[in-house]
Parts: sequence; structure tokens; C-alpha cells
Amino acid sequence: MTEPILTITDLETGYGDVQVLWGVSLQVPAGRVTTIIGANGAGKTTTLYGTMGWLRPWRGRIALKGEDVTHLPAWAKTQRGLVLIPEGRQLFNTMTVDENLDMGAFSPRARRGREINRQRVFSLFPRLQERRRQQAGTFSGGEQQMLAVGRGLMAEPDVLMIDELSLGLSPLLTQQLFITLKTLKQQGLTIVLVEQNVHLALALSDYAYVLAEGRVFAEGPAHEVATRSDIRTAYLGL
Amino acid sequence: MIVSRSQHNTNNKLVFRPDGEDHPSESEHEPERRFMLGLFASMLDGVLVGAVYGLAASGLTLIWGVMDVINLTHGAMVTMGMFGVYLLFTETGLNPYAALVPVAALGFVAGVVVYWTAVHRVVGRPPLMSLLTTFAVNLMVIGTGTILWSTSPYNVDVNLPGFSLGDYTFTGNHLLAALAALIIAGGLSLFLGRTRLGKAIRAVAGNRMAAELMGIPSSQVLARAFGIGIALAALAGALIATLFPFTVLSGGSYELKSFVVTVLGGLGNPTGALAGGILLGLMEGGLTPFITVSWIPVIEFALFVAVLIAFPHGLFARRPRR
Ligand SMILES: Nc1ncnc2c1ncn2[C@@H]1O[C@H](COP(=O)(O)OP(=O)(O)OP(=O)(O)O)[C@@H](O)[C@H]1O
Ligand SMILES: [Mg+2]
Repeated sequence: MTEPILTITDLETGYGDVQVLWGVSLQVPAGRVTTIIGANGAGKTTTLYGTMGWLRPWRGRIALKGEDVTHLPAWAKTQRGLVLIPEGRQLFNTMTVDENLDMGAFSPRARRGREINRQRVFSLFPRLQERRRQQAGTFSGGEQQMLAVGRGLMAEPDVLMIDELSLGLSPLLTQQLFITLKTLKQQGLTIVLVEQNVHLALALSDYAYVLAEGRVFAEGPAHEVATRSDIRTAYLGL
Repeated sequence: MIVSRSQHNTNNKLVFRPDGEDHPSESEHEPERRFMLGLFASMLDGVLVGAVYGLAASGLTLIWGVMDVINLTHGAMVTMGMFGVYLLFTETGLNPYAALVPVAALGFVAGVVVYWTAVHRVVGRPPLMSLLTTFAVNLMVIGTGTILWSTSPYNVDVNLPGFSLGDYTFTGNHLLAALAALIIAGGLSLFLGRTRLGKAIRAVAGNRMAAELMGIPSSQVLARAFGIGIALAALAGALIATLFPFTVLSGGSYELKSFVVTVLGGLGNPTGALAGGILLGLMEGGLTPFITVSWIPVIEFALFVAVLIAFPHGLFARRPRR
């Protein structure tokens, strides 16, 4: 097996004095979909923030494409191709769709392909093209999530991490966004998925990690994790 | 015509003289007509000076809006702009309007330095912290300025020809200062709306985490935004120095005016600041013929409090849509 594109080793971090992660290790192979599942408060979002550097890692190591990026700030990781679409969308509400997409393409590497990527985003989400000049804050929840995904794609990710894609969306829209993710996967994009909708997440994923109380409780190929009865009852509520 | 500017009254408003007795041939209505003309001229002058107030306030409100820091070095930086143009003019003979360029550049650099030394670590912390650190810088700058230049008045001795309206003479200085303020404010608006750094500043102001996640180095962007805010304060100071005599302590009163303007124009809204400044200038111009100038700050602050109570986000605040 080739070296994973993203490797997280014994990550510990938290908020203020409160430690939340107690040594999380994940391996993300290129071109695959890796999912992190777990109950509310298990530390999924914290793992993504620690990986990005939005939360400072207290201990552990993060390697991206063979380079040690543990202590780089979030913006520098994004510029190297590790991109997070955060929980709660976090759009620039007073900016238009186009401006939000421009901000996604801020880094020098993404700026070169900006117009091509914009067309790519518009072909995935034609609705965004219709509303290019509308302020993001006036969008519905579903449109906002489309814009959040589109903005993340504008950054030309090598690894795209998505936190709670389906939060607050209708089942239909969730389906549509997962079809979009499937398209991206087929195009060869590496994806890390954190998702409440465990059924959909496991169906799309190649490999799954189960987080509990800030530790990796179990891991394995997605179809195996989906059938393990102990995980189903204890952590997935299935 | 070269007049020593310190001969004017304290606020250096052009003085209104209803000297009807000197003109025995005037008709009955003449004093009234002259009074109205004088009032109009005074208000027009207020608009011109108000544009400069607006420019000063745009620096304060930019920093406030982008990083939630109330920059108490503002007045000191206005003073630095005054002395900057004074020194460039007297020491190197540079035209005061050409001197705006180096003053802006030096203001920007000073702002970036102040950001990294006194502001960076307190952004996002309780407001008292940034109030204290910026106040400390303010005291150091004003203290150093007092050692160098004492607190006696200085003036930049330029007088450009202007035009007259009744007893009022509008100097070219007033016209040019207002024009410069408008151009700079327009430039700021274009910069924030169109350029890469301008958009990055708006992005960091809107959502710092999202900006970082999109690859925008938010601390560096904040440092530059702070630099621009200080450059605007210094530019306003430089323009004021071409209008009125000043001392090391003059910046303070413009800082206070900037707060009033900011509240009139909307917190964190640099374009509204210009409108707020013009409104304040108009009010000052309308009041000076009737009252002693010492009353003006009293009235301004009564207005400040009243506006804050009635419109907590400012008169021209852009209501968040939705
Ligand atoms: N800003 C914060 N300050 C302090 N503690 C926090 C903060 N954010 C999260 N926590 C704590 O960290 C722990 C893990 O939270 P985290 O958000 O990572 O969980 P999660 O697995 O993403 O949950 P969810 O499924 O609800 O999104 C929780 O106990 C939570 O209370
Ligand atoms: Mg979460």
C-alpha cells in the first residue's frame, strides 16, 4: 500500500484547559472516502479543527503528502491542499455568491484555476449560478450548504474534509449532495467525511473510524463497520 | 494673501461679521440677507471640513468593524499626520498635498507595527484589553510628541486662493482638503469592494475562522487593515493641518469627533463615516454663527448619546439584510 496522503498520529488537543482528544490516529489514503463517525460530543469536529490547526495540536503529528505540517496555521494547510468545509457552513454572509467563491480561491495555487473551478462548481450546483450576485446570508439552508461545498472546491483541495454535510437539510437535498460527493469521489478526490447520517456516510465510504470520548474506538472497512453489532448498538444508534 | 492662521478664533471657523453699520446705504432687508448668506456660507464650510472629519472617522470605524477593537491611538495618529505634513513641508519644502503620500505610507507602517506590538494578542479578547493597550500606545506617542514639540501651536503656512461669498472667504485649502477627503474615501470604498486584499479584509471581518479555512492568513490581513486605518487617521490629520493651527494635543478632539461621526455613520461602516462627517460638519457650521464655539463639543456629545440611544447601530447603519 502506498503512503496515505494524510496521516494523523496520536493527536491530542482541546479547548482552553479542557482536553477533548486523547491520542487520535487516522490514516487517509489518496482517492478514497474515509469517514469518522461517533456519538454527539465524541470529538469529531475537534479532530478536524486540530488537524487543520484552527485548534493548536497539543501533542501528536500531522503529515500531509509526506510533509510534517503539525504546527502550520490553518491557512497554510489550506494553501497546501488540505481543505475543511466546517460545521455550520460559516459563509461570508454579507458577500455575494461570486465573492464567497473568490474567497475559496484565495490561495495562489487555487487562483490560477479560479474561473475553470467556478464553472465546475456551477455545473455541480446550477442554482448557485442563477444567484451569483445574491448575498449568501439571504440563502436557504440548502443553498448555503451548496455554496459552502462550492467554496471548498474552489480551494482546489487534495484532501477535502467535510463536517456535517447534511445538518439541517431535507432528505431529498441530502441525497442530492451525496450524489455530488459520489461524483467527486469518482473524479478521484480524497474525502474525509464526518456525518450524522451514518447510513449514507458508510454507503459512500471505503474506510470508517468510530470515535468515542476522544479516542478511536474501532476502525475498519466501511461495510464491515456497518455490520458490527456492537458498534451499531453502542455508537451508531442503528 | 498670506494670513497667519493663528489669528482666527479657537476653532478657526471663518468669523461671521454682521457689520451692518459700515454700510449706511444698505436697504432695510440687507442685514437679514447678509445674515442668511453668512449662515449658508458657514454651513457650506462645515460640509467641507466635515468631509475631513469623515475621513478621520473612516479609519477608526474600519478598525472597529474589522477586528472589534476600539483604537484609542486614533487621536495620536491624527496628530502624527499633522506633524508629519508640517515637518515634510518645513524641513524639505515638499508641497503639503504631495506630502500626503509619504504621510499615508508612514501611517501604514506605524499601524502595522502597533498592530503586532499592542493589538495582535488582544484581538478577540474582552474589549477592555484592547482599550488599555491602545491607550498605552496613545500615551507613549503623545508623550514623545510633547517632548519633541511641546504643546505650543504650529501651523502649515499655505494659503491657496479660493472664492468669496458675502463676508466669507473660502480658501483653496478648504476646497482641496474636502476634495482630497472625498477622493480618499472613494478609493477606500473601491479598495474594499474590488481588490484582493480589500475582499480578504471583509472576509476576515465577516468570519475569521472561515477566512483562515479558505487559506487567508487572517493575522496578516488584520495587521494590514490596522495599517490602513492608521494611514487614514494620519491623512485626515495632514489635511486638518492645512486648515487650522494645531498642537500635539489636537488629535484628541478629532478622536472624539470621530466617535460621534462613527455613531452617526454606522459602526464599522467606512462609507457611512463620510456621510456622518459631513452631517457633523454641517451641524457645526449651522451652529457657529449663533453660539460660542466652546458649546460645540457639549452639543456634539449630547447628540452622540441621543443617537446611540435611539439608533444603537448608527443613523446610516447598513441593516443586515434578511
Ligand atoms: N468551543 C468549545 N469549548 C469547550 N468545549 C468544547 C467546545 N467545542 C466542543 N467542546 C467539547 O468538546 C467535546 C467534543 O466536541 P466536538 O464538537 O468535537 O464533538 P462532535 O463529535 O463533533 O459532536 P457533534 O456530533 O455534536 O458535532 C464535547 O464534549 C464538547 O462539549
Ligand atoms: Mg461536530
